[in-house]
Amino acid sequence: MSNIIGLINYGIAGNIHSIKKAIEKAGGVVKIVNNENELNSIDKIVIPGVGSFKDAINELRKDGLLEPLKKAIHTKPTLGICLGMQILSTLGFEYGKTQGLDAIKAEVKPMLVDAKVPHMGFNTIDVVKSNLLLNGLENEEFYFMHSYEVINYTEIASLSDYAGHTFVSSVQKENIYGVQFHPEKSRDAGLKLFKNFIEL
Amino acid sequence: MSELFGKYGLPLEVKFCKKCTMNNQRPSSTVEFKQKEGEKKRTLAFGEDGICEACKYAEKKKTINWEERHKQLEELCNRFRRNDGRYDVVVPGSGGKDSVQAAHILKYKYNMNPILITWPPALYTDIGRRNFDSWLNAGFANYTYNQNKKLHRFLTRSAFLNLGHPFQPFILGQKNLAPRLSVLLDIPLVIFGENEAEYGNAIEDNEKPTRDPKYYSAELSIKDLVLGGVSAIELIEKYGFKLSDLEAYFPVNPYEIQKTGTEVHYLGYYVKWHPQETYYYSVENSDFMPNDHRTEGSFSKYSSLDDKIDWLHYHTTTIKFGIGRATYDSAQEIRNGDITREEGIALIKRFDGEFPEQYIKDCCNYMDISLQQYHDAIEKFRSPHLWEKNYGTWELKYPIWKEKK
Amino acid sequence: MRTRIIVKLDVKPPYVVKPVHFEGLRKIGLPVDLAKKYYNQGADEVMYIDIVASLYQREILFDEIEKTANELFIPFGVGGGIKTIEDISKLFHSGADKIAINTYAVQENSEILNEAAQIFGNQAVVVNIEAKKWDDWYECYTDCGRIRSGKNVIEWAKEVEARGAGEIFLQCVDTDGRQRGFDIELSKQVVDSVNIPVVVASGAGKLEDIKELIEYARPSGIALSSLLHYDKYTIKDIKEYLRSNGIEVSK
Repeated sequence: MSNIIGLINYGIAGNIHSIKKAIEKAGGVVKIVNNENELNSIDKIVIPGVGSFKDAINELRKDGLLEPLKKAIHTKPTLGICLGMQILSTLGFEYGKTQGLDAIKAEVKPMLVDAKVPHMGFNTIDVVKSNLLLNGLENEEFYFMHSYEVINYTEIASLSDYAGHTFVSSVQKENIYGVQFHPEKSRDAGLKLFKNFIEL
Repeated sequence: MSELFGKYGLPLEVKFCKKCTMNNQRPSSTVEFKQKEGEKKRTLAFGEDGICEACKYAEKKKTINWEERHKQLEELCNRFRRNDGRYDVVVPGSGGKDSVQAAHILKYKYNMNPILITWPPALYTDIGRRNFDSWLNAGFANYTYNQNKKLHRFLTRSAFLNLGHPFQPFILGQKNLAPRLSVLLDIPLVIFGENEAEYGNAIEDNEKPTRDPKYYSAELSIKDLVLGGVSAIELIEKYGFKLSDLEAYFPVNPYEIQKTGTEVHYLGYYVKWHPQETYYYSVENSDFMPNDHRTEGSFSKYSSLDDKIDWLHYHTTTIKFGIGRATYDSAQEIRNGDITREEGIALIKRFDGEFPEQYIKDCCNYMDISLQQYHDAIEKFRSPHLWEKNYGTWELKYPIWKEKK
Repeated sequence: MRTRIIVKLDVKPPYVVKPVHFEGLRKIGLPVDLAKKYYNQGADEVMYIDIVASLYQREILFDEIEKTANELFIPFGVGGGIKTIEDISKLFHSGADKIAINTYAVQENSEILNEAAQIFGNQAVVVNIEAKKWDDWYECYTDCGRIRSGKNVIEWAKEVEARGAGEIFLQCVDTDGRQRGFDIELSKQVVDSVNIPVVVASGAGKLEDIKELIEYARPSGIALSSLLHYDKYTIKDIKEYLRSNGIEVSK
């Protein structure tokens, strides 16, 4: 059965190099998706993330990917990473209000915490709803690099603590997964997560 | 077929070495105590293949058996080592990286008992003074000959105005003090840092470990000696300076040298000289510090740091020969494999010939001239075959970054 | 919060070098080999800086960077010679996860920080500071710790935070490569002056130096070069030591 993982390439900001390498290291086959046509030819979706919510949505729209992606994520297993998870939300508050892909009922807001921001470094996750993606990764550390967080109460897969502040570190709704951290920068733990995704 | 010559007898056509950034306008070491105005210079020699002498020496260095040379140094030290607690080797310097390494190696690796001697810079920089202290703090004693400042200033000023070479008085003493003190202190062995041949002087100078006595001793009568472009006789009779003070600038009497058995060696013959590695050695084995920022006219921070006059010196070499500190520094680093020729050219383009803003006022005050006088004097020495004026600014006619391929 | 243990690679392409006080080009090895070596030792991040790109006024060598990033599954920061948004974009495409900028932002145009943070997100924009100590203040240096700027380090740190930088990478010209300890006063001043993470580099010579720095200045991360290049300790040794002294680090 075909198991091609499509990595969405949007605009100038997407950092896809590391993710591609990591998925391949974990045993997956990656295809870069630049437009709607290519979106149709892949089996799983990975939405990467470096940049701002607003720019991400604008770039997707410019590339003609916004509407197709909104549909595709409901039919194909999808993994949103960092900003890629954030844009799965309903609304983003980075540089004004921007509507997201609305896959999960959530809002993206600045992280307000009594510590340095961005939240930068390795941190653990507390799995509250076990799923196949996080299988075997309960005690692992992952690399976080973000100033915004996803506010959601209904699709939480894991929570994390930063300086006493609890925030959502991953979400899951049916076939749609989102991780706030960067599995491609999280050593073996991250590679295992990709392996889990490949084997979904 | 004879080459046509420009000012100072420099070749009219500027040719760059194919390997490094040096060019054929570079003069070799002069016998300083005889230097007069208008002298023709011997310049850096190039082979048929367009490669300069210094680069050829650098190639040769790669084939030298340094283990052999180390043994030779051991034998030399064995010959002169004193086990009765007295000093047994004179190490000249001022606390720069070369003398720091020399002193340290001779003491700790070759088990000698060095006495450090210094012919101090006319104007110590802050960093120079700090490094001098660090040098002694490492556990060495030092004899410094503090020149008669009135005389030294006079000579510096004369050397600048007459020869465009304000550094001359310093160079004179630097070469002569160690042999002189060797005689005075009865310590025959003198070991200097690297050898000038590293930079392209007569390559034969590098075949042996000792400095040619012609540079520091001479059976000369006073009437032959010229300092700062002024004859010694005039210095005494017209300007009232005493022989006793002038002697410091004179070469040592060869008879005295012979009696003591003075031998002046180069450490650069025995130890593979790599200035950057010398820098590393210094920072790893002492409190030596590099400059607080990039040295004007160049890109580096680790060499020739202690004398403010040095800054002027490189400015004069730029005017006279079109060669500034960045050219000297980059050529050396290229030969030692630290940077490439292209990188050297980029650095020369960016920094070479930079006006010595930082210390110009101090130096002019020292020489008792105004800034305008400095600029006027310097123009006398500009080589017309090298410079042209474009829109009111002097520019090199043949800079290396415009070199024909 | 776990203090990150980061390795700094000073690169004069194609070699990693180790200057002392930002002077000297002694070769240590190839970036790809060293990055791998330290990744295997447990480094949390790698910071690759082309230390001569600005000094030599040379363009960025993207191929060299891409070679290094291979098989590195930890954050890879890259700096050296960045002048345009296009440079930054190309760096991300060459494998960089964060970019570090100094000379251009300090000497020519600090607006680039605002632009970069807007486009790429502030967490990807690191400002590299080369601090030089004078009697009662610290000055920002550029071009591989060689050229003065007249800018005060603390003021600049606050300014870059306001412009959107997400992290400061703090080096010190007076201590770098000397292995005689960090400038902990400088570190504390910078950490306390901003609300963004600060990674402190320059000066580790003994394990105690690292402990002292973390306890006194509380940086988000510490960066090491000489200590690792000369094989005095491995990152594993360092993490074990810190853990046994009550300092949290990643696995």
